[in-house]
Amino acid sequence: MENIADNLPHYDPQQLTKQSAPHQAVLARLQQLLPMDNIITDAAGLRPYETDGLTAIREMPWVVVLPETEAQVAQVLQCCAEYQVPVIPRGAGTGLSGGARPHQQGVVLGLSKMAEILQIDPHNRVAKVQPGVRNLAITQAAQVHGLYYAPDPSSQIACSIGGNVAENAGGVHCLKYGLTVNNVLGVRLVNAAGEIVELGGALYDNPGPDVLALLCGSEGMLGVVTEVTVALLPEPETKAVLLAGFAEVVDAGNAVAAIIGAGIIPAGMEMMDKMAVQAAEAFAKAGYPLDAEAILIIELDGAAAELATLTDEVSTLLRQHGAYRIDEAHDASTQARLWKGRKSAFPAVGRLSPDYLCMDGTIPRKALPSVLAEIDTISQRFGLAVANVFHAADGNLHPLILFDANVPGQTDKAMAMGAKVLEACVAAGGTVTGEHGVGVEKLDTMCVQFTSAELEQFFRLKAAMDPQNLLNPGKGIPTLTRCGELGGMHVHHGRLPFPELERF
Amino acid sequence: MAGDSSALFIEQIQAASAAQQRLLINGHNSKRQWLPAAAADSSLCTAEHSGILQYEPAELVVTARAGTPLAEIDAALREQQQMLACEPPRFFASDVGTFGATLGGAVACGFSGPGRPWLGALRDAILGVELINGLGEYLKFGGQVMKNVAGYDVSRLQAGAWGALGVMSVISLRVQPCFAAQVTVSGELTAAAALDLCAQLGQRNLPITGSCWHAGGLALRLQGNESGVAAACAGLAEFGLMPMPADDEYWQRLQHYQHDFFLPSMQASTDTRAHGSRRKLWRVVTPLAAPMPDFGAPSAADALVMWGGGLRWFYQDDAAAVMAYAKAVGGWCWAIGDAMPIDPMQAQIMHQLANAFDPKGVFATPLSFPANKAATLAMESH
Repeated sequence: MENIADNLPHYDPQQLTKQSAPHQAVLARLQQLLPMDNIITDAAGLRPYETDGLTAIREMPWVVVLPETEAQVAQVLQCCAEYQVPVIPRGAGTGLSGGARPHQQGVVLGLSKMAEILQIDPHNRVAKVQPGVRNLAITQAAQVHGLYYAPDPSSQIACSIGGNVAENAGGVHCLKYGLTVNNVLGVRLVNAAGEIVELGGALYDNPGPDVLALLCGSEGMLGVVTEVTVALLPEPETKAVLLAGFAEVVDAGNAVAAIIGAGIIPAGMEMMDKMAVQAAEAFAKAGYPLDAEAILIIELDGAAAELATLTDEVSTLLRQHGAYRIDEAHDASTQARLWKGRKSAFPAVGRLSPDYLCMDGTIPRKALPSVLAEIDTISQRFGLAVANVFHAADGNLHPLILFDANVPGQTDKAMAMGAKVLEACVAAGGTVTGEHGVGVEKLDTMCVQFTSAELEQFFRLKAAMDPQNLLNPGKGIPTLTRCGELGGMHVHHGRLPFPELERF
Repeated sequence: MAGDSSALFIEQIQAASAAQQRLLINGHNSKRQWLPAAAADSSLCTAEHSGILQYEPAELVVTARAGTPLAEIDAALREQQQMLACEPPRFFASDVGTFGATLGGAVACGFSGPGRPWLGALRDAILGVELINGLGEYLKFGGQVMKNVAGYDVSRLQAGAWGALGVMSVISLRVQPCFAAQVTVSGELTAAAALDLCAQLGQRNLPITGSCWHAGGLALRLQGNESGVAAACAGLAEFGLMPMPADDEYWQRLQHYQHDFFLPSMQASTDTRAHGSRRKLWRVVTPLAAPMPDFGAPSAADALVMWGGGLRWFYQDDAAAVMAYAKAVGGWCWAIGDAMPIDPMQAQIMHQLANAFDPKGVFATPLSFPANKAATLAMESH
């Protein structure tokens, strides 16, 4: 396991130890600020916090605090600022990149007890919620008004809205409905000094540089969100799901381009290659064509009148581009069946292979055939199989590299191969992470994408918001000295973090 | 001639830094009247740094140099039946005698068009920015892909920064297919009734992409495919809303601040015809369904409401009344031509961010975020 202190430019881990006077003073102060039950220091209580959704990396935190009010959050941060103790904000702990990985000398600031839906306001079409509210709970609370919250990351039954803001969470409906950043209208934030800042509100415009956008995806490194105002949308009147099978991957890629070229923005458009299809079909019995080299799953939504013609248009385009089979689903249960294979693709691939690495590159859509061909070449060179699942609408590619950690050298080989795959994504004009975040997992791959001057600019930005580098130190941005080999999401023996969750 | 001036910008920034001078970034100066002039020693003009660098319709992304006129981008997109969904205003640029707003200026001011609540803001469309900071370093953030969480979102931070964080050199924006069909329905309604109706319709699945209430009339824009728009249009007849002719021109005028309502404030400051004297135009951002103010306004012609209620414009001389109203409904207000009001805590953050991008203070900006919180708070209390 790499030493997190390697990535701390300003923080000297030797300054603080668990037995040091500052730490004892901090603990005493925390005990004044919070009820006993909201401070965890015993090993059994700390255990659940030693990792997040990236279970390959673990570290016991020094202490976990669970504030119940914004004032308590502010007081905890003031205390930590005074004693220069690192603070690791944590939502539901479902993140896939180790963004909430604890620090052995730091305070984990869990927001799980701040989980109240403060207001559902149908007239202004907003919900005001505390950070610990689960993503899906917002939609469930808004449904009575015919409204919903659009971003739907695959972990939405468990992940919290505060974590969604920290990671700028996506989902399968991003192209049409946007990511978290496009659906959050305001936040209340406690900064590193423990001061409260309001950004935005139930408002569609704010003055000055867009600090609210900057905050989205900042991985808890710029502040701790204590309240979130999100936009709510009217639920679509109807939905249709189409499944198309292709004999060539290139044809499926061209069909995607043709649909978008025809001026259609589907609510969701997913692609799977043959290995992913076969794994998913064996696992979920979704009715996918096993002879297809690639399939597309397309969701269309809108008013009934609109949808009828739209579905015909998309079917025609799919046929014109070589789809040899199209299944249309207009009822909820068939739609759920068609989605089920895609949603269980990760655990399904996990059954094929003892271990796999999940990459999270994003590429321009047009580069899909060439990047897939390159991944194939890389795969043959390394002698490890790859299953590809792809958010085709927005270019977000999840190659799953299959390997066996019990075979000596295979883990390293898989990691090296993952690095090559991400390099291919960056070379194609893409990025190393589309939606899972950098956390600790992709610190190294960030070096491929950014120059020293860009990384230094990130550090200056961080220092502007957090001069002592105490908020989630060591995450998100690699230090210049660190830039080295690449990494990936390591899933051991098919055991996904939160295996009960659907994964995209 | 259009071309790459970024090397010149870097030289200019380094020279200004060495001479401890301040540079004001400008394009065609089309938004000069929106904020007080910033004190600067010289200007860094992006107007020649122009040209679309990459545009592939199937990728839904356009990449262009900051000095590229929006009109040029709009025209290139229209040829492919695509558009900037955020509908940035082009404004009239007296420097070039035409609707000259540049891409860089559009991002720097961050103004979004009439479809904001439905089609997204300008900041939502930003995918990547190549920026020259105050140290003269050429930096690339974001990119041309829809999803990107690598590093802090420096690209979207530029929206509304008014040049405080650096010179944008190249910008990538997401584009969207044009809608196949558009109909605007309108009818006579009081402001309160129009807000009620907008709130009510906003909870339904309707293809509404724009609203404007002014002088006792509400116009709603419907966009989508033929059948969807036709069905919505038929459904809205029950509210007394009927199709309106020449509606595309109507929305264009609204987008580019050429609607009659705006003309008195958009024209040169000597023009006082429309209202007898040049009156303060207030831009008030409010929650959608917030009630209308009771300013005892002389006439209904003095107010215009967009964004389903979220953006309201008033000609009003009683500044205290407008500020009290904005505060009471949880919004914010800005008198065009005056400093943009920024909350002290936010101003502190913005000031620190500006220092992070421009440690030597090379860039002048018409925004004001005073050097420290104490100063801001002192200013507030006056």
